[in-house]
Amino acid sequence: MLSALHLGRRFGPRVAVDDLSFELARGEIFALLGPNGAGKTTTLRMLAGLIAPTAGEVRLHGETMKPATAGRLRASVGFLTEAPGLWDRLTVADNLRVYARLHGRDSADGAVDAALDVFDIRDRAGERPPQLSKGLRQRVALARTLLHDPAIVLLDEPTSGLDPESARSVRALILRLRDDRRAVMLSTHNLDEVERVANRVAVVRTKLVALDTPAALRARLFDARVRIVVARDAAQHAEAIRTMGLHDVRVDGSDISVGMRDRAMSVPALVRRLVEAGADIEAVIPEEPPLEDVYLKLLEGGESPES
Amino acid sequence: MKRIAALLAKELLEIRQSPGLFVPAIFTGAMSLALPFFITVLVPYATGERLADSSDLQIAIEMYAKQPGVRQLEPEAAIQAWVLQQFLVLLVLSPVAASMSVAAYSVVGEKQARTLEPLLATPITTFELLAGKVLAALLPALLLAFACFGAYVGLSAALAEPGVVAILFAWRSLAIVFLLGPLAALTALQLAVLVSSRVNDARSAQQIGALIILPIAALLVAQVIGRIELTMPVILAMAGGLAAANAALLRIGVGLFDREAILTRWR
Repeated sequence: MLSALHLGRRFGPRVAVDDLSFELARGEIFALLGPNGAGKTTTLRMLAGLIAPTAGEVRLHGETMKPATAGRLRASVGFLTEAPGLWDRLTVADNLRVYARLHGRDSADGAVDAALDVFDIRDRAGERPPQLSKGLRQRVALARTLLHDPAIVLLDEPTSGLDPESARSVRALILRLRDDRRAVMLSTHNLDEVERVANRVAVVRTKLVALDTPAALRARLFDARVRIVVARDAAQHAEAIRTMGLHDVRVDGSDISVGMRDRAMSVPALVRRLVEAGADIEAVIPEEPPLEDVYLKLLEGGESPES
Repeated sequence: MKRIAALLAKELLEIRQSPGLFVPAIFTGAMSLALPFFITVLVPYATGERLADSSDLQIAIEMYAKQPGVRQLEPEAAIQAWVLQQFLVLLVLSPVAASMSVAAYSVVGEKQARTLEPLLATPITTFELLAGKVLAALLPALLLAFACFGAYVGLSAALAEPGVVAILFAWRSLAIVFLLGPLAALTALQLAVLVSSRVNDARSAQQIGALIILPIAALLVAQVIGRIELTMPVILAMAGGLAAANAALLRIGVGLFDREAILTRWR
């Protein structure tokens, strides 16, 4: 649906984006992660046809985005910019109405009406953006982004600066976009958000550092671990586990954390053996390193960007 | 056209929400309206001296009397018609000069409010964007200019000597108001929007835009001192020049509007 092929962008001598390739599919949420200045916004702007790449190309529905085609292709892209960018002197409804007309909607009023309902902002339609909370402004901006029913949605830090409740509401809207079978790309620093919504993650730092599902990235960089909580002191069981061929064993009070890298034994077999050895098991919890650890490890280097 | 109309409607809605934007234009228009009547009606009334008796104005009267339309006027009416004609240019163009702030702020203002990027992400073309911005500054200015002209004629009918109003309704005056004025306004406002798309703060745009008052003042002075006489052929030649300038400015404006630089270099 949307492809970046060896995408690059220079600003004078500075390279903002270098050799970035990926595809965005329908019904997918694709997260773009990277430190400040990594080229995330520049990438989104190139995908939205706002700036031209200096190398490579963007293809939308198989058609190359060029200055001559960008205007037309932009019609199938909804771009939520980093700032909501609402006109302060216009009401919420008027803000939306202008964009509905700019997108050539036949019934601008009908489109606005529908957006007010979908985004649950009807009761704020007559208010001006400065009267709204930051979360509501972002919701209006998201409604504006989707007024023309775009198949591709690009979101630049959609929950940045929002309180947890507003961020959750925006995340719910993003998930709804995926349910509507739209292709969604979001740039964010919020790793928890990525964990919750993204199907695939691209970590970028000018170049593509890694691209995969969060689970695959985690598996690629960290060993699988399981935490077993026993009723009494866990130390007595550690040696028993080591004799089972699992050598990465950490004990903390009643918790035993076991690295399963060797795959010498499955988790059910391990639990069974522990029970046979007299352990009273209270909980078995798969241990996953937070995505933050994955991200930081990737940025430390050494990972090839294969999918 | 639909997108120009959409942007124009938005701009006019914003202007309506901020009527203060046009206070300078209304004030300037009112001043331009009042000044010639102050000279031609109030001062002679207060001093008891007719303008036609002033030796300073004899040369102007003699020059002006050569025009076929004014030969039958009384000397006092002729001098009033002369003064009112001179001020017509100022009257028509002064609201435009004052509405420069709207045009000068148009693009850079959107950028500063961070509303430009979402706008550029729509299918709007550069021509449509600039046209919407220029028209939004032009239409209120023209409306004000025409209203001022209406008031000018009305005040002339009420206060000036008999026969003066007919002079103001001559083809020459109408061409100044309805042809030269709008074309000059379009040139000025296109320039202002162009400047607004090239600078990165509104104050610079406004200060550069304010320079547009200079050619208006120069035209007025040239007219008063007799260096230029706005006859019909001169008006039509100037209109042709302005139309060509407008066409060129449109191309230049579209060519110089650098979306990438605006998005990536302006802070």
